Amino acid sequence: MSAAAGDTGAEKAMSARDEGAQASRFARFSPRWSEFDWQLIRTGPQAPELHMALDEVLTYEVGTGRRKPTLRIWEWASNAVILGRFQSVRNEVDPEGAARHDIAVMRRITGGGAMFIEPQNTITYSIYAPDSLVKGLSFIDSYAFMDEWVIQALRSLGVEAEYVPINDISSTAGKIGGAAQTRRGGAVLHHVTMAYDMNPAKMLEVLRIGREKLSDKGSVSANKRVAPLRQQTQLPRQTVIDRLVDTFKGLRGLTDDEILPAELAKAEALAKEKFLSNEWRYLLP
Amino acid sequence: MPLHGEFKQPGGKLVVVDLELSDGRLTDVHVSGDFFLEPPEALDDIVAALTGAPAEAGEDDLAGRIDDKLGPDVMLMGFDARSVAVAVRRAVTDGSPRERL
Repeated sequence: MSAAAGDTGAEKAMSARDEGAQASRFARFSPRWSEFDWQLIRTGPQAPELHMALDEVLTYEVGTGRRKPTLRIWEWASNAVILGRFQSVRNEVDPEGAARHDIAVMRRITGGGAMFIEPQNTITYSIYAPDSLVKGLSFIDSYAFMDEWVIQALRSLGVEAEYVPINDISSTAGKIGGAAQTRRGGAVLHHVTMAYDMNPAKMLEVLRIGREKLSDKGSVSANKRVAPLRQQTQLPRQTVIDRLVDTFKGLRGLTDDEILPAELAKAEALAKEKFLSNEWRYLLP
Repeated sequence: MPLHGEFKQPGGKLVVVDLELSDGRLTDVHVSGDFFLEPPEALDDIVAALTGAPAEAGEDDLAGRIDDKLGPDVMLMGFDARSVAVAVRRAVTDGSPRERL
């Protein structure tokens, strides 16, 4: 639901509270979203290493207060495997498969598992917020809290979406995506990658899916666990992304913004010096 | 010869340990996985806690060494000291050299 232009702040807060009460156990915390002046960044395709760097830079900028809380929708310029901060390259990636399919291996600043990225098969976003947004929530609860709006957006598209702790967005048909968070410098970074479509054969040539990882999944077939949004909605990718943005906007408001030249310059330097470096990419070889 | 062990709590995250044994003690210890850990530098403390431990150290001993080393502000999510200890025991007792799984 969106607040009409004539609404008072109190009415707006009240509707946000009602929304939260309907949605879940986060009723106490949900009104916090409306305390911020949310900005939207939605640009053309960017290189994987620039995305990694933008997450670090924009989290920092929000932490210092130079940037307002922001939702950023990603468009990928090329294929990549994005490893979690603590993953070992050798354990996760088949180097020959990655080379054969022209897939760069990157490492992000958050924990969690490897993501197999093909630009048109992937929907990715980040939220950068002051950590006051999640104050008082446990780390585990803050994941579901940060993605409540996405569950709502997906349900509005007919997907029976739900949050499965710790960090999965799932439906009755299977896993849709995963989230990762980190908190630094007074800000929280929450980013999510969802499968719009997938090529399981290619993914299995590039990612190593070990038996231990699947030990409690009830299936040894990685692709059976994933239920891409294209299959579940029959909608174009941009239509799904538009619905995500519109849902956020309706609930909390969202002002069109862009990456500032100074932010971009910092991110470009960081992409080159850190995220493309072997020291970082092979931090855990 | 590097030894390799893995463990995943039900509903949790994978913990991978690679290590070598030298004079009956753990050396060249590497801990990785798809877990969450804040601050990220605490991974170095986990590795330091394990390095030099006797090869025969059991789960309780290893988990205790890790817990002792981690400060109160460290947050582990999807795993705990015991998950790491189990992965170490698996590496030491039936760890195979790292190979494609």
